[in-house]
Amino acid sequence: MMEDSLVLVERFDAHPDSRCWHVAWNPTGTVMASCGGDRAIRIWGKEGDSWKCLSVLQDGHQRTIRRVDWSPCGTYLASASFDATSCIWKKKNDEFECLTTLEGHENEVKCVRWAPSGNLLATCSRDKSVWVWEVDEEDEYECVTVINSHTQDVKDVVWHPTRELLASASYDNNICVYKEDDDDWECKATLEGHTSTVWSLAFDPSGQRIASCSDDRTVKIWACRNLDGPGDMSWTCVCTLSGFHGRTVFDVDWCPLTGALATACGDDGVRVFKEDQATDPDKPVFSLVAHISKAHSQDVNCVSWNPKEAGLLVSCSDNGDIALWRYKGGQE
Amino acid sequence: MAAQFSGVLMLTDLDDFITPSQACVKPVKLEKKPGKSVSKIQIEDDGSYFQIDQDGGKQKLEKAKITLNDCLACSGCVTSAESVLIALQSHEELFKVLRDNKLASATDQVVVVVSVSPQSRASLAARFGMSSSETGRRLTSFLKGLGVHHVFDTGFSRTFSLLESQQEFLERFQRREQDKTALPMLTSSCPGWICYAEKTHGEFILPYISTARSPQQMMGSLVKDYFAGAQGLNPRQIFHVAVMPCYDKKLEASRPDFYLEETETREVDLVITSGEVLTMLEQEKVILNEVEAAPLDELFSNVKGNELLSHAGGGSGGYLHHVFTHTAKHLFGEEVKELTYKTLKNKDFQEVTLERDGEVLLRFAAAYGFRNIQNLVQKLKRGKSQYHFVEVMACPSGSLNGGGQLKALPDQSSKELLQQVDQLYRAEMPSVPEDDARVKELYQTWLQSAGEERARGLLRTQYHGVEKMSSGLTAKW
Repeated sequence: MMEDSLVLVERFDAHPDSRCWHVAWNPTGTVMASCGGDRAIRIWGKEGDSWKCLSVLQDGHQRTIRRVDWSPCGTYLASASFDATSCIWKKKNDEFECLTTLEGHENEVKCVRWAPSGNLLATCSRDKSVWVWEVDEEDEYECVTVINSHTQDVKDVVWHPTRELLASASYDNNICVYKEDDDDWECKATLEGHTSTVWSLAFDPSGQRIASCSDDRTVKIWACRNLDGPGDMSWTCVCTLSGFHGRTVFDVDWCPLTGALATACGDDGVRVFKEDQATDPDKPVFSLVAHISKAHSQDVNCVSWNPKEAGLLVSCSDNGDIALWRYKGGQE
Repeated sequence: MAAQFSGVLMLTDLDDFITPSQACVKPVKLEKKPGKSVSKIQIEDDGSYFQIDQDGGKQKLEKAKITLNDCLACSGCVTSAESVLIALQSHEELFKVLRDNKLASATDQVVVVVSVSPQSRASLAARFGMSSSETGRRLTSFLKGLGVHHVFDTGFSRTFSLLESQQEFLERFQRREQDKTALPMLTSSCPGWICYAEKTHGEFILPYISTARSPQQMMGSLVKDYFAGAQGLNPRQIFHVAVMPCYDKKLEASRPDFYLEETETREVDLVITSGEVLTMLEQEKVILNEVEAAPLDELFSNVKGNELLSHAGGGSGGYLHHVFTHTAKHLFGEEVKELTYKTLKNKDFQEVTLERDGEVLLRFAAAYGFRNIQNLVQKLKRGKSQYHFVEVMACPSGSLNGGGQLKALPDQSSKELLQQVDQLYRAEMPSVPEDDARVKELYQTWLQSAGEERARGLLRTQYHGVEKMSSGLTAKW
């Protein structure tokens, strides 16, 4: 039934004796950054046919590093840690130096992400808040807003691919979408539907839809009809992928090049879904097109599509390793 | 309930995984009775606990009660404070005191004093379509009708707060070279900000905070010290209520610093919000603009004739305005008629400077709302703050927008309402703190005779860093 395939390209131990929480491609897709329970960030580059560790960034954080994100220009790296801070690293020649530490969250920072413009940064935390930071020309960071729309731990924040629009996912089972409105940021929509923690979000390449994944073992697709209108936005769940995942779905990523949707699951599996082309856009149908049931020996924490090389997918796991996969669509 | 506190307070050490009651880590002090060793504790069907002694005797165990003071002294959480607050600090409590007073014998009766903030007056004025002063007069009438003996205006005690701030600033400015924590002086009247500073930034930030008491607690001194003395009353015989725009003010009144050990009473016994006054009116089926106006209690009111006065500089009390104009005049001989506010990152971060020949002599700022407090604190930590003085308020738009103010009606946006309240607040004529003859007189009589040390205790306060507690329940994900 599944004509598409996911083929292992390479696997390596990225954070030995620790968890690998996240792995992020740089904007050109040539370098990866990974982070883990060992409080280290590792930078990976391709040498010949295989991936090698180019540098290890240590001493930035006191506790687990949960998340890394590249700035759109590729010069900066942001890291979010359970030590309640986020670090901004700047690339100088082949080295990275910690430019600044963003303090303010009350406890564990769960995610950090740069806006497409590169001028704004969003963070979220177990303290239930979402913060937006602004960067000026002198690399100074100022807090633009602190939003308390969630009632529990906020797991993920994600920016719209082209607009200054932000979405967050929480332990309160909800997703919030924010926009700036007259001097401050406000929650413009709350997406209710998941029955347990929402772990991760991804916008589709057009920015009209959001995919969310949850502890309720489903992935939901949400669509918005009035993205640009004034006032509150209206998002509706147009599709729920249930029955595919054996345990919590920890991460979801929407490929900007192929439109394929990849998931990382607590059942150790990596899956790829594709939208059926013939279906009504208001009621899209997604099919499971590839599934590696034991992609890792433990929970898969993250999946990420290469931004330039179509079909190249990276995943990382609780067992500390990173795996690279080649996705081949059966029809192409 | 949580939504009623300022956002700043809500962000302080909230825990998402455990409910407040479980989260409370306050150790309970047990009254140990000599000669008895506990053998068993038995739980009855109704949930009550009994101690079974070795001899078989049964004794009911007291329920552990957490007071607001316990919550304030603890870094565990803030959420537990809410349920405690609701029980101890509500308008129902005022009704109860007034009811009891009617039934009590003449010797057991207490004198009930209500001190109303100008911000609360403006909030009620907007709802009932009256001026702030008219609202003050009618509110006086309503409260006295309920059995309240005196209705004062914290605009009066604010004159003391402004004068003390001004004096402290001059002192700090003089020692700025020797003492790195002398400047910037950060204002102290916002309790949400104080609570956040104590719990989150502790010893680092506290030296910068002005020691001047807030208007609420200045009134506490006036009522429980001066007024009690003048009336020949024990402070316990006065029940002092403050009407405030903010829930966090309830926490402030409960601080041990404002508890009179000797007479076992608080300087402010109860704080109710503007919104709770509206609830009282509704419960009594009274429409405020239909109440007959009563003359204002001039003893502790900032008045001229029968009109209440205000202070220049806007709805958060005018600290920046007063300290700026006073310092400009007394230190630099500049008469500043009008302040020019420069909006920086957002409308809640504004700057005022005094310049001469291109040199900045004074650099003041108003930083409202959590985001701006955050940037201010981070700038201070990095040694990049250039300010001499910052008026800090936890709520965006400041005190007029406090969480205890009346909410907008369905046909009105909260922005429109805030504008209206601001206009009503500003419509009261400003008074100049240095020119207040009665305040001057109180400094000369009451405070002079109290002696320097006691006067300091009556006019100033102190802050206490709360040590961070590391919870055993640290999340792994």
